[in-house]
Amino acid sequence: MHLGLDDDELVACVSCGLCLPHCPTFVITGSDTESPRGRIALMRAVQNEGAPVTEDLIRSMETCVQCRGCETACPSAVPFGHLMEGTRAALADAGRITPRWQRLALRMLRHRRLLLAGSTLLALAIRLRLVPTKRLGLPARMPLRRPRLRTSGDDVWLFTGCVMDAWQRDVHLAVQRVLEAAGAGVEPTGGVAPCCGALHIHAGLESETKAMARQVMAGLSGDDRPILVDAAGCGASLKDYGHLLGTDEARAFSDRVYDVHEWLAERLDELQSRRPVAPLKLTVAVQDPCHLRHVQRAHHAVPAVLLPFVAEVVALDDDGLCCGAGGAYSVMEPELSRAIRERKTAAVVRSGASVVASANPGCSLHLAAAGLEVRHPLELVDQALSASRS
Amino acid sequence: MTDFDEALTVFAAEVGPDGPVCVRGGGTRWSLGGEAAPDTREVRAPAGIVAFEPAEMTVRVRAGTPVVALHEELAAAGQRTALPERAGGTVGGALMAGESSIARLGRGPVRDALLQARYVCADGRIASAGAGTVKNVSGFDLCRLLVGSLGTLGLVGEVLVRTFPVGKSERWVRLAGTDPGAVRSCHTAASVLWDGTDVWTLLSGYEVDVDEDLGRLGACEEVDGPPELPLHRWTCTPAEATAFDVRNGTAGRFVAEIGVGVVHASEPQPSRPVEPGVAELNRRFKERFDPTGRLNPGRDPLRRP
Amino acid sequence: MSRTLVAATRRVLGSRRRGDRAAASPPAGAGDAALVADLVEAIGSDRVRADTASRYLASRDASIYREGNAGPVCYPGSTSDVVACVQVAARHGRAVSPRGAGTGLAGGAAPLGQPVVLAMTRMDKLLGVDLDNGVAWVQPGMVNLDLSRALAPHGVHYAPDPSSQAACTIGGNVANNSGGPHCLAYGVTSAHVVAVEVVLSDGSVVTLGDLTAEPAGYDLRGAFVGSEGMCGIATAVAVRLTRNPPAVRTMLLCFDDVSDAAATVSAIIAAGIVPAAIEMMDQRCVTAVEDFAQAGYPKDAAAVLLVEVDGPAGGVAIASEKVAGIARRNQAISVRTAADEDERARLWKGRKSAFGAVANVMPDYYLHDTVVPRTRLVEVLERIYEIVDRYDLIVLNVFHAGDGNLHPILAYDSRVPGTDERVHAAGREIIEMSLDMGGALTGEHGIGVEKREHMNRMFSAVDLDQQSRLRASFDPHCRMNPGKVLPSAHSCSDIGALRAADAAGVWG
Repeated sequence: MHLGLDDDELVACVSCGLCLPHCPTFVITGSDTESPRGRIALMRAVQNEGAPVTEDLIRSMETCVQCRGCETACPSAVPFGHLMEGTRAALADAGRITPRWQRLALRMLRHRRLLLAGSTLLALAIRLRLVPTKRLGLPARMPLRRPRLRTSGDDVWLFTGCVMDAWQRDVHLAVQRVLEAAGAGVEPTGGVAPCCGALHIHAGLESETKAMARQVMAGLSGDDRPILVDAAGCGASLKDYGHLLGTDEARAFSDRVYDVHEWLAERLDELQSRRPVAPLKLTVAVQDPCHLRHVQRAHHAVPAVLLPFVAEVVALDDDGLCCGAGGAYSVMEPELSRAIRERKTAAVVRSGASVVASANPGCSLHLAAAGLEVRHPLELVDQALSASRS
Repeated sequence: MTDFDEALTVFAAEVGPDGPVCVRGGGTRWSLGGEAAPDTREVRAPAGIVAFEPAEMTVRVRAGTPVVALHEELAAAGQRTALPERAGGTVGGALMAGESSIARLGRGPVRDALLQARYVCADGRIASAGAGTVKNVSGFDLCRLLVGSLGTLGLVGEVLVRTFPVGKSERWVRLAGTDPGAVRSCHTAASVLWDGTDVWTLLSGYEVDVDEDLGRLGACEEVDGPPELPLHRWTCTPAEATAFDVRNGTAGRFVAEIGVGVVHASEPQPSRPVEPGVAELNRRFKERFDPTGRLNPGRDPLRRP
Repeated sequence: MSRTLVAATRRVLGSRRRGDRAAASPPAGAGDAALVADLVEAIGSDRVRADTASRYLASRDASIYREGNAGPVCYPGSTSDVVACVQVAARHGRAVSPRGAGTGLAGGAAPLGQPVVLAMTRMDKLLGVDLDNGVAWVQPGMVNLDLSRALAPHGVHYAPDPSSQAACTIGGNVANNSGGPHCLAYGVTSAHVVAVEVVLSDGSVVTLGDLTAEPAGYDLRGAFVGSEGMCGIATAVAVRLTRNPPAVRTMLLCFDDVSDAAATVSAIIAAGIVPAAIEMMDQRCVTAVEDFAQAGYPKDAAAVLLVEVDGPAGGVAIASEKVAGIARRNQAISVRTAADEDERARLWKGRKSAFGAVANVMPDYYLHDTVVPRTRLVEVLERIYEIVDRYDLIVLNVFHAGDGNLHPILAYDSRVPGTDERVHAAGREIIEMSLDMGGALTGEHGIGVEKREHMNRMFSAVDLDQQSRLRASFDPHCRMNPGKVLPSAHSCSDIGALRAADAAGVWG
């Protein structure tokens, strides 16, 4: 079977193995089938050597969290993420992965009203204890009501996305307040750009993702406003449109996208100049979302932004190893996902921090489900700012 | 590859293909692991330095060469080997006994010193183990197997031994009435000896570092060398050596090598138990390498204290 | 109602769980059903994999050798698991091949003849740190760098630091007697392994060596280290702890001419200085690593030397001054000292990612590991460039210059017809040239399968016979990792038979 992978990208792996300790699944199972190097070797076996696509080979691809920690560890810069996306697209096209129910669920993310209504129903079900939240990795409590999104100006877009807007709108509002404190007029994207398509490309639904990318781009066209993203996964996805669609327009769009911390790190002076701020008396551990650290490579901005507003910021000692959330991964591969998370929670405990700051909603839900106190970094900044305001 | 030195060929011919045979070096550790069986033919390994390459930090030397003579030669280039100097003791003897010098802490164990060995096998042919370079992992490590084997697996005729620069400054000092912990902060200590009362240490390195360590030690007396060592050599763990005085009821007077685990005592060490699996492996090695048991009969490295 | 929802969710998700999939998976190596069943019974189903993907990947390491053919792959969690696997394999007349992280460069972990593969990666614990005896007991699957990180709070480290140390395991290091940059001053793995617990081919467990200064009997520990998995399987290792040096200085010396760099190396050693490490990279290598490592290596220098001096501060200052002086006398164009730990780390990161960065130049590489007298480096490098030019190939030179351990990387694209043949011919010439200079076949990567047939060039029939006796003393029946190291005539197992079993390949 031809996976449609670029041959030069595929042969760029020399099997040195330096990716192994950076792969969250390899460190759990110790098996090459759950390693970047092994997965690439299997892709090659299928595409170049005519190996059959066996069920165990598919398992090898499905167990990948797509954290791309292997990419930053690779001295030969093998574009593993693209290879894995391509492989999943080929497998999905052939009907070997991503069954119909899953495709339906993903399709719902594009329909904002449906999603918001569904989320409210789910929140209700959780309150009535009808849903085993722990087992499904869902938050123990979800908002029944959502405060309205509001526009305060036209300096920047704030990308609000799908699930995060439905489940964590509080975070968007806190982020917006921080941006406003830095002097920016903010317009939330809301229904204009409903979903970035990150989960869809992970599931191998390439053509659907492209359609969604075009929808988002159309919604945010017409000006050069920076598009700020407070979810690392969405930011990585929007920044990849240039590659995904391969058009000048898409590349220009991607150039407008910033992780919100990346953008704020350049404007720390504005943020602090307005009034003196007393730092929160907290020791905060920064968890680097993979899509911020390994894909956007903008993770240094988070502690930089956080530092003036909390007593202490500590780094985790696990080399940015994935937490196991991986978008829908925690639902699809609950056992592996939890085993990976245990390593992260152990690192948090070792750090001595009382709060974890995570710049990605998937990670934050996943870690909170393990009993950790998790906040978005800008929620903490907002808290410090509002405390000094009152 | 097989162009052996003539002296080596002569030695091999002398050893021959059969009959019990042992090699006499300086005889300084002659009874180690047992006495030579009666009626064993005694041969001597050839002597002389074949090639000293100071810039390579190696020396090719025949096994019968006295270590002291070798070191005199190397000293001209400011170098030496890890082999212990015993009056009359030979290079081959030192390697076969496998006992390190009292400066093992700084100079390393004898087992890491041998880079290449040319030896006569049980069938009388010459074999070469290891390589002519300072680093090598080509094939199985026969060199390490030979060190300490008491000549029971093969009779060494010529060896390539690692050399290293002698410290620019080397000074023995004695600290009276203290314990070895007093020397812990010294980075140049190449030997730390303790007799339960006093500590001797050899500081070796750049002068500035040795002087700094001397400063750290404070009150100490510069001496010519180590104390006189009691006759018997015990081997134990480093932790046991450090705590030796509390259990030395049977050892008599002692001098412990701290950080190493060798203790020199006036009484012999009681025999140590050997794991049955290890004893069985030792037997298999002897059988494979010397099926007729002709090499140094009567000696057994397992019986070494 | 809650229960109903759980059940419904399970139905939806459950169809995707491993169990159901595994049942649908064809039993790989159809004749292995009984063997697999026995292995599962011995150590549990979560520790045995017999599917084709697992076997395919367990058949290879980081070398270019691709003829390995694994049987069932086991992931033991304890010494007793290893014993059980060895016994089951023996009962089924099958060999056993151990495997660490699979970062070996000579095919040592490529299983021949469909043996039971024991992947030691899950035995990765630090068992204990014994500061009084200066050792740590570790399981073989522990990653080299993880060990040194775990030791850091004690002010000690594990000295051998292969370039793959971020991924390679202690067990693999023991099997290969691995080296690394800092082995110049500190010695290779064998000098740092005090004792090893080993499972022998008959399933018995012995401890080779002990914590005493001079263990009784033959140095079986020394004989075992570097035996490439052919003498037994290490299940616990006591490694020597090395005190962190009080001072370290790392220097980057740059040259316009490769020969000047090589001459500097020889001159440093000749001056009686033993730095902790002397590493060399030529321009092509620097170019390949710099984009990744961002270490500030100059891409326009013909060659760079990374020299590290450590020890007490006074001597470090003197030695590094001397090194700088020697470099300048040998026409160094710049001498830079790492200003802080971060810069030092980046310089080392660049050096240690060299092999992995080759794909920035070409997609494949073939690597040799010969050692030559360090006084002849200038001449040897000239010969290598000449050989490689003659075969119209590209070479990246990166190596442990201080001990003359070369790593000429022949970078190529195997998709171009005829390239493989040229690469192998050039490799053979490099080996012959190195041996003619009085060198050794391999300094730290081992023989594995790749260099096996070159052993005759370095050793006589008598020498090889002696080596096979060492192996046979440990493993009389040749059941451990058969077919490696010794050329076919000296291997006690029938390599022809192994080959026949391998002809079918993993995908069958």
